[in-house]
Amino acid sequence: MSVGLLAAVTPEQELLLESSSRFIERMMPLPSVRELAADAGGLAAGAGAGGLEARYHEAACSLGWFGMLVGEEHGGGTVSGNGLLDAAAVAAERGAVLQPGPFAAANVVAQLLAAEGPKHREALARLVAGRARATWAVGDVAGLTPGAGEIVAGEDDGGGFRLDGDVRHVPDAADCDLLVVTAHGPRGLTQFLVAADTPGIQARRMASLDITRRPGAVRFDAVRVGADAVLGAPGDATAARFEWQVGIAAVLTAAESVGAMHRELEAAVEHARTRIAFGRPIGSFQAVKHLLADLSLSLEMAKGVVSAAAEALGSRSLGSAARDGVDLAHAAKAFVAEHGIELAHGCFQVFGGVGYTWEHDHHLFMRRLAADAVAFGSAQWHRARLGERIGVG
Amino acid sequence: MRDIAAEHDSDVAAEHDDGDNAAPERDDGAEPEREVRAPVPAPDLDEYRARARGWIEANLERGPASGGRRGDIDPAAIAAGRALQRRLYEAGYAGITWPREYGGQGLGPEYERAFQQEARGYRLPELGIAGGTTFGVCAMTMLAHASADFLRRHIPRILAGEELFVQFFSEPEAGSDLAGVRTRAARSGDGWVLNGSKIWSSGAYYADWGMCLARTDWDVPKHRGLTWFAVPVTAPGVTVERIRQITGDAEFCQEFFDDVVLGDGDVIGQVDDGWTVAQTMLMFERGGGLSHGTRTTRASTGVAPDLVELARTAGRLADPLTRDLIVRAHVDDVARRALLARLGARMRADPAQALHLASYAKLVSGVHDPIRADTAMRIGGADAVNWDAASGDAASGDAVDREEQPGGAVGRRTAVGFLNSRFMSIAGGTNEMQRNSIGERVLGLPREPSFDSGKPFREVLRDARGWTSARE
Repeated sequence: MSVGLLAAVTPEQELLLESSSRFIERMMPLPSVRELAADAGGLAAGAGAGGLEARYHEAACSLGWFGMLVGEEHGGGTVSGNGLLDAAAVAAERGAVLQPGPFAAANVVAQLLAAEGPKHREALARLVAGRARATWAVGDVAGLTPGAGEIVAGEDDGGGFRLDGDVRHVPDAADCDLLVVTAHGPRGLTQFLVAADTPGIQARRMASLDITRRPGAVRFDAVRVGADAVLGAPGDATAARFEWQVGIAAVLTAAESVGAMHRELEAAVEHARTRIAFGRPIGSFQAVKHLLADLSLSLEMAKGVVSAAAEALGSRSLGSAARDGVDLAHAAKAFVAEHGIELAHGCFQVFGGVGYTWEHDHHLFMRRLAADAVAFGSAQWHRARLGERIGVG
Repeated sequence: MRDIAAEHDSDVAAEHDDGDNAAPERDDGAEPEREVRAPVPAPDLDEYRARARGWIEANLERGPASGGRRGDIDPAAIAAGRALQRRLYEAGYAGITWPREYGGQGLGPEYERAFQQEARGYRLPELGIAGGTTFGVCAMTMLAHASADFLRRHIPRILAGEELFVQFFSEPEAGSDLAGVRTRAARSGDGWVLNGSKIWSSGAYYADWGMCLARTDWDVPKHRGLTWFAVPVTAPGVTVERIRQITGDAEFCQEFFDDVVLGDGDVIGQVDDGWTVAQTMLMFERGGGLSHGTRTTRASTGVAPDLVELARTAGRLADPLTRDLIVRAHVDDVARRALLARLGARMRADPAQALHLASYAKLVSGVHDPIRADTAMRIGGADAVNWDAASGDAASGDAVDREEQPGGAVGRRTAVGFLNSRFMSIAGGTNEMQRNSIGERVLGLPREPSFDSGKPFREVLRDARGWTSARE
């Protein structure tokens, strides 16, 4: 069953979502997600599950998962005219089964490369077709993730740049081939596209509360890149684009969270329907029923606000008209970050003791929702951005 | 106040409205089909629109729409409203979609919409909260269930502004458990004798009739022994008392019935089949609940402008914690608006589930209105507790719309908002009733065991008195 992020879907969207969720159930159902998580505990990619992951990634690309925010000329395309809406709906289906991989970050990269026109056509083609994986090393730019570190870009004599620094909390950092780096350069905020195997780059995995994802850290030690690695115009234009990128990453992350919320609540409702205590299903007790109804209200609100944000942000072009979309993205992320965790708590209470076992899937959802809550900006960070819209006098 | 879900009625998922049926506008997705129309050729829509525009310009005053406002009503305004309603009726612009045989025009909803569009910016009849109940709930329910004879007597008078109906529905001892009403109508010769009490009837003090749910058989289960009656508010034995509310307003009433004599012609629907009629009524009420939710959601521009104004007035706008409170409220506002848009789409896609989905719209107000009001109180601080006396007080209805003192008015408005903030949590079906409806009808959770649906109501009351505390 579809998560139903969108209240109404076009037949084309329905097809996209159906094929995506069928693919997920076939190739990466929860038991496989658990297997991957167990492998990640110590083994590098290339072990048994590593092969599965590679096949999974290629097949996902054939469904168009990384081409929804880029035009057809780059091998991508949208089924509804609003690529972000399509991508958010897919993200929700992904989130429901805690799918691995940097879906939000890779789509941000794809969209950014597409905006460069033909300049990075080759890298974009590889990304869209699944021959390369991409992520976004953003660090603590604009206070997005306190403690995540920064990259500094200095100009070198040959017109190129030298990148130094260490950033943490980068999605799938050690498992990607391409990195977009947001750095502080001589002319302000500057973004680069760099290959992960560029000399001086060292990526490592981090341990994570969310065992279904693979965040990492990247050290840049005198990394040399040419001027052609620069994306867009440094300074104000990049700062504006940065807001837009964060908006997209926030919406897609929130959409994945909504999928996780949906499946977690579904499991708790099912538990309440079938667990017998005091001679009746526990879901017949108002104490349990009302808790679930309240969580269901939060989930409906979350779906509403995330789809509204995707709709607005995806239907407008970069520029001042995007303000509404960006603001809705802030609101969506702030809402989902807090209500996602609240929902996990509520469902945990309904599951009772069984929710405390490793065997039960609940903890995977609880871990994911807590991790998503701080990915690409915590609720506080997004609220602070909205706070900047209020006058001071 | 009546019990908040001390009991609940899973059989009906009753969403009772205590009387705030003030919303004449309805969500199209939630509006049930109207009555049959007489086979008269419909006028051309454009011609109709042009004619309506001409009549409106010649007969109505420009001004903001006023219908169904909350708070105390000026009797003179109601008298003027009735007169204007009569002119609408005589001109053929009342009951545009209602059956011709009962004084309506028998036209399709597109004509109603056209008239409403043309009338935008003009003053329509002010009939207060009872007007909303009359046209949006009572008459609609009558048209679905009352006899032709009854409808011929009452509907034309309703359309002409001569008869305002309120609901005599909730009782001091039956709120959420509406099928548990205890007001009784007993057979007496050819007619009936009514005894008991009703409460939360909005605007009964200036209405003409009450639509009253009474128990006519005590020896069958609670849903089966109920009957609806039309009761003249001025009939001998009817006493109407206004209830002063916590804000100082008195829009609600309580009625006492002492041997009120009614005739068979006053019965609405079938004797002992009142629950069927009640469900129709609840359906119309819940539609009103959804539009109420729409109205309370803030405008889409800006970050919680009312709270920003409050913080500015209170000198707290630079305080980071205050700003975070404001943004939190804004985020909830945005999510509430998005929820209503989502629900509208879901209800259109799945009309069979529409009634149960509407519970989300009701619950979101019931849960978030109090949170928002508390946020405003925190931002307002002492300014929302004490203010200059010139801006009115929070314990007399006359102050409700007074805003000429900017500073003080903001504080007073915040305080009144705080007092009013649980309105949607209780009226029109408590939060608990909405949660039952969502839990059972949307999520599919099992029902609570029932202690009253299978036995004669007389025994229900007797057995309920036998419940004891675990300490006894």
